[in-house]
Amino acid sequence: MIEITATVESMDQLGKLLVSGVDTVYIGEETFGLRLPKSFSRAQQSEIIHIVHEKGKKVTVAVNALMHPEAMKQLPEYLDFLKEQKVDQITVGDAGVIFVLQRDQYGIPYIYDGETLVTSSRQINFWAKKGAIGSVLAREIPYLELQRMAPELQIFGEILVYGATCIHQSKRPLLQNYFHYVQLNEAATKERGLFISEPKKTDTHYSIYEDNHGTHIFANNDVNLVTKLNDLVALGYKNWKLDGLYCHGDAFVEIAQQFNAAKEWIQQNQWSETIGSQLDHKISEIHPQNRGLDTGFFAFDPEDVK
Amino acid sequence: MDTKSKRKKPEVLAPAGTLEKLKTAIHYGADAVYIGGNAYGLRSRAGNFSYEEMAEGVAFAKEHGANVYVAANMVTHEGDAAGAGTFFRKLREIGIRAVIVSDPALIEICATEAPGLPIHLSTQASATNYETLEFWKQEGLERVVLAREVSMAEVAEIRKNTDIEIEAFIHGAMCISYSGRCTLSNHMSFRDANRGGCSQSCRWKYELYDMPFGQERNTFSDQGVEEPFSMSAVDMSMIEHIPDLVENGVDSLKIEGRMKSIHYVSTVSNVYRAAIDSYMADPEKYVLKQEWIDELWKVAQRELSTGFYYHTPTENEQLFGARRKIPVYKFIGEVMAYDEATKMATIRQRNHFSVGDEIEFYGPGFHHFEQEVAVMWNEEGERIDRAPNPMMLVTMPVVESVQVGDMIRKKK
Repeated sequence: MIEITATVESMDQLGKLLVSGVDTVYIGEETFGLRLPKSFSRAQQSEIIHIVHEKGKKVTVAVNALMHPEAMKQLPEYLDFLKEQKVDQITVGDAGVIFVLQRDQYGIPYIYDGETLVTSSRQINFWAKKGAIGSVLAREIPYLELQRMAPELQIFGEILVYGATCIHQSKRPLLQNYFHYVQLNEAATKERGLFISEPKKTDTHYSIYEDNHGTHIFANNDVNLVTKLNDLVALGYKNWKLDGLYCHGDAFVEIAQQFNAAKEWIQQNQWSETIGSQLDHKISEIHPQNRGLDTGFFAFDPEDVK
Repeated sequence: MDTKSKRKKPEVLAPAGTLEKLKTAIHYGADAVYIGGNAYGLRSRAGNFSYEEMAEGVAFAKEHGANVYVAANMVTHEGDAAGAGTFFRKLREIGIRAVIVSDPALIEICATEAPGLPIHLSTQASATNYETLEFWKQEGLERVVLAREVSMAEVAEIRKNTDIEIEAFIHGAMCISYSGRCTLSNHMSFRDANRGGCSQSCRWKYELYDMPFGQERNTFSDQGVEEPFSMSAVDMSMIEHIPDLVENGVDSLKIEGRMKSIHYVSTVSNVYRAAIDSYMADPEKYVLKQEWIDELWKVAQRELSTGFYYHTPTENEQLFGARRKIPVYKFIGEVMAYDEATKMATIRQRNHFSVGDEIEFYGPGFHHFEQEVAVMWNEEGERIDRAPNPMMLVTMPVVESVQVGDMIRKKK
């Protein structure tokens, strides 16, 4: 059974995403979650979980930040809240959070999300032994490696099939530091919409912004694996993530509709390359105009990356 | 419990890219060194050790009461970990004191296939809270290297809540990102930062711009901002904060730089050895010596700061604009023999120097002096004005006693 997880940025979008057919919604708050389209209040999180559960669907909450002691002090209270709300699962990227989940016997299922560090089946199976029910795969894994990993995985490996790929997280306020140095009064937030380009490659466009977790930089193009979904399913990768960090409102809902359509075609054994191309074309049209799309590391030869 | 009885002398842990650097670091006071093997490391371009070289290094370290650790801190992709069990067993057999690992696959392989070989969690795993340290302690790890983003107050907090050994970086270059959480190099250069290929993209200069929908890109340089965007930062030095590190229970003080020279390794090891010995001998009367700071500047490649220990780095700790000029010293030779009766030293040349040059001798235990090269002879006993050939042997009178292994530098 294919499971589509999608981020949510508003109550309005939530309703539409649930209608569009997503199975799991992904939410959180900025203290504990990384790079969320929206940081929801406790009351909102509670309401979302309630609504989603009424529809018989699931909620994943992001608890995937690298936690400094101050956040760890606030963590038990948040985990108590999530347990009380009967959250279905959380994502975790810090072994300290896993320690707390186990020490205090929270019983909240977790998906291991160590981001760039989740690159082999043996690592994932290590976290499976520590209670993880699934894992979020790094974006830097080519298809040939996914193929070799698949038969070895003891828990699922979720794949980002649409959205931005974070390729750098610094605790340093790199943009603020720069603006201070050049004496500009500029915002460094996601909404400011800043990019960097590589030296001598002016056509490159890596998104960059700052928040309470530091500075985040994203891959040149966002990922769109719609044409590869059948290949993923054939290998057993049935957990797909749609990330709406840079695609907002109804546009993101429409993106989700395309992936839900793909899921239906595949589940009915009616998938074809033509359908894949049509959906791909549609997604390109909906995708924000100032952002690129490609298939990330999927088509790379593992030997291409030294 | 009173502070004094808790106080523990921390280890000085130095980088050693080659056997020569390993011996130099230990000779200059390092309690332990970390090296790379031919596999599973993160510095593909640092000289890595064969098993034979490791064995020689371990034997040398044992003679001097020091330890050798092997960094195997690669983040493996599918299939990369094949053979790791054999590798770890071989290290155990050689007498490597511990391995530094971040990848849980490698940790598990080491723990199950080479039991008895202690494991230290690499900074690549970004450990920033005591619960993480407790997690790895439960897994049987001996030590955790903290993330470089941990503040001194956080070190204190972590130490209060766990008894696993703590290692912290005190000197050298720093990743700009949380270590391991950066694939700029993978995406920009097709070189895997977490598998030894990091192209240091964070040190590049970038164009910063916005691109509102339907418009051309709008760069800051077009608006007249001359300085390009960069993430590159100054290096770290904690020489002025040894008491904080000791009092907060850091067990191992780590110096970065397996790619650095013997000049660097000897100088930095020497300074921290002197400072820690001085503090431990009498903490109440400890005084930070200006000569230690001056000494570290002689091998500095960038300006120095305290990283995240006392505040989040600002623009002042980044490399923008024209920076203060750092005095540059050149390593010119090492003492191979010394005759106390005639006060003549035989020196192996490592960079050219001439009669009339002001040179500086330094040795373990922070022995230092300067003199002018007044006269010198080559191996044939001929008087020469210049020592132009790499590794040539030169004899000259020295104004103070020296020892084999002492080094010589000159201001550029």
